[in-house]
Amino acid sequence: MGDKVNQQRRSVLKGAISASTLALVAASGLLLPQRLLAHWPSDAFNAETVEDALLALLGQAEIADDDALQFKVGSPPSYAVNGASVPIEIQSDLANIERIAVLVDKNPFALALSLEMTSAVKLPFKSMIKIAEDSDVIAVIRADGKLYKTTRFVEVDIGGCA
Amino acid sequence: MGLVKKDRIRAKLKSGDTTIRVLLAHPMHTGRGENDAGELIAAEFVQDFRCWRNDIEVLTIKCGTATARNPYFSFQLMGGERGDRITIRWVDNLGAKGTAETTVK
Repeated sequence: MGDKVNQQRRSVLKGAISASTLALVAASGLLLPQRLLAHWPSDAFNAETVEDALLALLGQAEIADDDALQFKVGSPPSYAVNGASVPIEIQSDLANIERIAVLVDKNPFALALSLEMTSAVKLPFKSMIKIAEDSDVIAVIRADGKLYKTTRFVEVDIGGCA
Repeated sequence: MGLVKKDRIRAKLKSGDTTIRVLLAHPMHTGRGENDAGELIAAEFVQDFRCWRNDIEVLTIKCGTATARNPYFSFQLMGGERGDRITIRWVDNLGAKGTAETTVK
């Protein structure tokens, strides 16, 4: 009799413990990846044209062309031997930059990178992207709710979107 | 012996600001490339990259397939001092993730 009660008590305890650990794990953010994946803006990244990608990402595609944005692609500038890794560099003196997007016009999916900045981040930002063929590369900055864009044409020797 | 495949991160104090350079070890398959047998390689690319300074999130980068293999990012943070803890995490489209940490030098 006493054994049976003990057994039951054990399983009840066990159940309670695993339930509470699960709840803890969920709360502590160890299941973060699923949440992150859900936040990936697939509409924007699967858009095939620059306009669609910008609309999906920023909700607006009307842009003021501006020199407030310095943008370098390729090395030497506007030329790349290997399209699989083309260096880019973005520099700007604008204040309150909220977002930066890098798009490649002729790539199968235009949007390459989207940065969400906090006020702690300072430009220049450098990275490497893939470019399929000779194409316009566009950098877009949203600062104080306004969009600024700069376009550079890049020649690519070996396409790099495989 | 080849290089060990791992994420590399450097953080340096330069004239008052922190410069961070990150090199992730990731194949970044777009889903359009073929292997030697002519079969398509399934898409596998980093989607989400985040950076923290002393547990405060400072930067999020969303990547598409057009980010180059072994993604490289370099950026600066306002201010900062020696010993600040810089943490990065990435997640790819298959749910694989990686993390790296360093202190500002």
